[in-house]
Amino acid sequence: MSELNNSKSQSSLNTATTSHHEKWRLLKDAIMRRAVTVGGLSIIFAIVVIFFYLLYVVYPIFLSASAESVAQYPIPEESAGKTLFLNIEEQNEIAARFTDTGQVIFFEAKTGKTLVQKTVALPEGATITSVALASPVSEGAVIYGLSNGQAVIVKQQFKVSFNGNKREIIASIKYPLGETPLVIDDTGAALEKIAFKVADGAATIVAKTANKIRLTSIEKEQSLFSDEASLTRTDSFLDMPGGNITDILVDKEDRNLFLVSDDGSLSFIDISKKSAPEIKQHLNVVEAGQKITSLTFLNGDLSIMIGDSSGLVAQWSLVKDALNKPAFQRIRAFKVSDKAVIAINAEQRRKGFVTVDADGKMGIYHSTAERELIKEKISTAAPLATILSPRANALLFENADGKIHFWKVDNEHPEVSIKSMWQKVWYESYPKPAYIWQSSSASNDFEPKYSLTPLVFGTLKAAFYAMLVAVPLSLMGAIYTAYFMAPQMRIYVKPAIEIMGALPTVILGFLAGLWLAPFIEEHLAGLFAMLMIMPVGVMLFAFSLQFLPENVRQKIPDGWDAAMLIPVILVTGWFAFSISVPLETAMFGGTLRDWFKNELGIGYDQRNALVVGIAMGFAVVPTIFSIAEDAIFSVPKHLTTGSLALGATPWQTMARVVLLTASPGIFSAMMIGFGRAVGETMIVLMATGNTPVMDLSVFQGLRTLAANIAVEMPESEVDSTHYRVLFLAALVLFLFTFVFNTLAEVVRQRLREKYSSL
Amino acid sequence: MSTSETRSHSFDASSILRSTHDHNVPVEPCLRVENLNLYYGKKQALFGINMEMPKKKVTAFIGPSGCGKSTLLRCINRMNDLVDNVTIDGKILLHDDNIFDKSVNVAALRRRVGMVFQKPNPFPKSIFENVTYGLRIQGINDKRVLEETVENSLRGAALWDEVKDRLNDNALGLSGGQQQRLVIARAIAISPEVLLLDEPASALDPISTLKIEELINELKEKFTIVIVTHNMQQAARVSDYTAFMYMGELIEIGATSQLFTKPSKKQTEDYITGRYG
Repeated sequence: MSELNNSKSQSSLNTATTSHHEKWRLLKDAIMRRAVTVGGLSIIFAIVVIFFYLLYVVYPIFLSASAESVAQYPIPEESAGKTLFLNIEEQNEIAARFTDTGQVIFFEAKTGKTLVQKTVALPEGATITSVALASPVSEGAVIYGLSNGQAVIVKQQFKVSFNGNKREIIASIKYPLGETPLVIDDTGAALEKIAFKVADGAATIVAKTANKIRLTSIEKEQSLFSDEASLTRTDSFLDMPGGNITDILVDKEDRNLFLVSDDGSLSFIDISKKSAPEIKQHLNVVEAGQKITSLTFLNGDLSIMIGDSSGLVAQWSLVKDALNKPAFQRIRAFKVSDKAVIAINAEQRRKGFVTVDADGKMGIYHSTAERELIKEKISTAAPLATILSPRANALLFENADGKIHFWKVDNEHPEVSIKSMWQKVWYESYPKPAYIWQSSSASNDFEPKYSLTPLVFGTLKAAFYAMLVAVPLSLMGAIYTAYFMAPQMRIYVKPAIEIMGALPTVILGFLAGLWLAPFIEEHLAGLFAMLMIMPVGVMLFAFSLQFLPENVRQKIPDGWDAAMLIPVILVTGWFAFSISVPLETAMFGGTLRDWFKNELGIGYDQRNALVVGIAMGFAVVPTIFSIAEDAIFSVPKHLTTGSLALGATPWQTMARVVLLTASPGIFSAMMIGFGRAVGETMIVLMATGNTPVMDLSVFQGLRTLAANIAVEMPESEVDSTHYRVLFLAALVLFLFTFVFNTLAEVVRQRLREKYSSL
Repeated sequence: MSTSETRSHSFDASSILRSTHDHNVPVEPCLRVENLNLYYGKKQALFGINMEMPKKKVTAFIGPSGCGKSTLLRCINRMNDLVDNVTIDGKILLHDDNIFDKSVNVAALRRRVGMVFQKPNPFPKSIFENVTYGLRIQGINDKRVLEETVENSLRGAALWDEVKDRLNDNALGLSGGQQQRLVIARAIAISPEVLLLDEPASALDPISTLKIEELINELKEKFTIVIVTHNMQQAARVSDYTAFMYMGELIEIGATSQLFTKPSKKQTEDYITGRYG
């Protein structure tokens, strides 16, 4: 009984276990299936998130500017005279109105409430006949040319002080060269036009009277604010160029003077020697029949933006000509309007500018990027005076209707455009348009050069040379290892090469930059000699093998030939490098590098594409080798035997059947290797010299997208244009690898459809 | 059965051929195997094989799995060279030339002795390129010659009508039976004298098998055919002579009708009556 029971319970237990086991099996299957699905989806999700994050950081650089009216109010202290020009300080809190009676009215920019009214000390009886802002505008210095041939220089000051937690800005004016007016024209002729440049202790003033142009240079000795200031003064006269002078510009370096005439001509005068100004150029800057209606220096004073009566704004810049002499040349133009451009305001910190035309239409532009960021009607008629705030985020203008308008401008990233990133751009002081990456400099008025082309070029160049080294080595190696090598030897060779891939690239980069680069520099001839000696040595060795006695030869096992080549390669390599120096001395009279430079005009950088090609090739070899070897090794045996059975030699079989069948795998091996080379950072960072030049020469350095991000990201200000452009470089790299991998996968699938055989 | 026993028991294969030959045409041997021993490393796989394969006849090797029939077949075009550690002594004479002779160019030998394997192995190329492969590796690239050969070979392999409109399609798109006939066409495109068929129909369905068997009947007019099969009915249907092998030894060879009806060895009889194998 008990036995029966036992067996019954046992069998029922058994079935229970089976069904329990079955359930558990199904559960495990379901869990694993979900886990794999979740894993796969989360990878896709992560990639999509990365993509959209990059896009999110990058997209503001392509946004247009926006402008909106914030306030308008009657002209403060209208009775104090007509506005000569307006000014506004950095915080957009206080604005200033300079009147033709020598009054300076400081008022709240947002409300128009008068804060302070100052009067410039003018001599008795004199009236203001001309006025000019100093360059750079940020200095806040103003000169008044007077009817009696004298001039007064004033400087507006905004002092920020903290009263408890409240910030206060106190406006005032001071006289950097003293309150006493400077006598410019001793005959007392009215100064019709004036321009000046002032810096600590020195000023250069150019003034036009009815019949003369005077250049006055004043250097102030140490005694500050003393009326008896020991001013040393140099006076010189300039010939009046043709036409009536309508504008005078002096650059901030105090070196170049530009005179603009009403006939549309511009004279470029070198005033670096104050006593002997020299006219360098006199040329027409507008088309016949058009008039110059406005002009200003672009930030940095290297270019002048000239607006004409046809609505064109042209950028004229000093360009070194063929003889290395600076010449004034038009480098680009913007069609701003159909009407005359009545005012151009340059941004103080960027290469942007704001134009206003006769119809009251405002446009914001960026010169380098050649972008029109916004065009908006801000007024029904031509404004009388406009000023752009120092941070280029506010616009203040006075209208004919007797009101001052205050506009907010939002223009964060005008510096880049598709064109400036991918096409040649004519930068200031460059002889011709070029692809340049130069994102920052010590100077504030520097023109950032965000061309991604040299970086993409560098990336592809590095990848190209790396592939040039890696593809032949790894594919030949893979073919030999998979198809000819003895299985016993393959067991060691394959993992050994694959382990090479685990070497940290920072070590490879370190070795390449600090050991290989100087070594190659010293033994350049040896490298080339090796390329010639090594194959010859291998051939000779193979040839000499057949003279070995029969019994010795038969002892060499099949497929171990490669092992015998190791000493041959070592010896030939050593030999090539050891004859390098004598070879260079004997054949190239010194070093090969110098010979290249002197005889062929090819420059040599220590860290160059050759070094990168070798080092990165070394890093890419294991990837390509491993995948290609697998592909070749897994070509079905029945195909090779089928080919051999038809009387094909092993070589024919390999070339016509094995490689063909393995082609999808070999292709993806190369693509993955290429992807690795494109994205590789540490090696290129350390071994390329990071020079973003566009030069195909193997002896020149380069800078890749990845290395560029690594180098510059730490020094870029978060959310600046530079920062976003670096993200754009990352996005380009991302898209590049994405598109490339997708294409490669499509091609591989097609190949596989065509050539795979099982 | 001990090795020494069977070894001592050698017989004159050619005499059997002559004596059992019931056609009136004189038999001219194409291949002669003389005292062939084959070792995989230390392990002997073939023991003192002596036999003749007559010209333009079908000779079938039958025997249980592992009896060495495929190994013997693969000796004939030296495919065993590809296997590591194989040593062979003895001779195989193709028209009085020993194929193991040092001066023999293996590639040239294989051109004279074509081979078709168990599993269809078309190259991943077009039908046209598959058939012309053997010619192209010999450097024949004349388009007219190639086209002519393709048509003749495919007709010879009874495949022409099925594929003549899609010669440039990938051969991997053909059915298994078509692939096997394509492989045969590829083999006969280089006009070999001997065609070795290593279980050519074992991976195919019955209809394709039938087609292959019909094909073999047609092919023997032009080629000497040696076929390995473990399907005795197939051997009975297609071959003129049958050799029965067992444990690396040739037990008996004779005209097919004779061997299947009146085997002279007990082992043969046991095998063909299905007692083992």
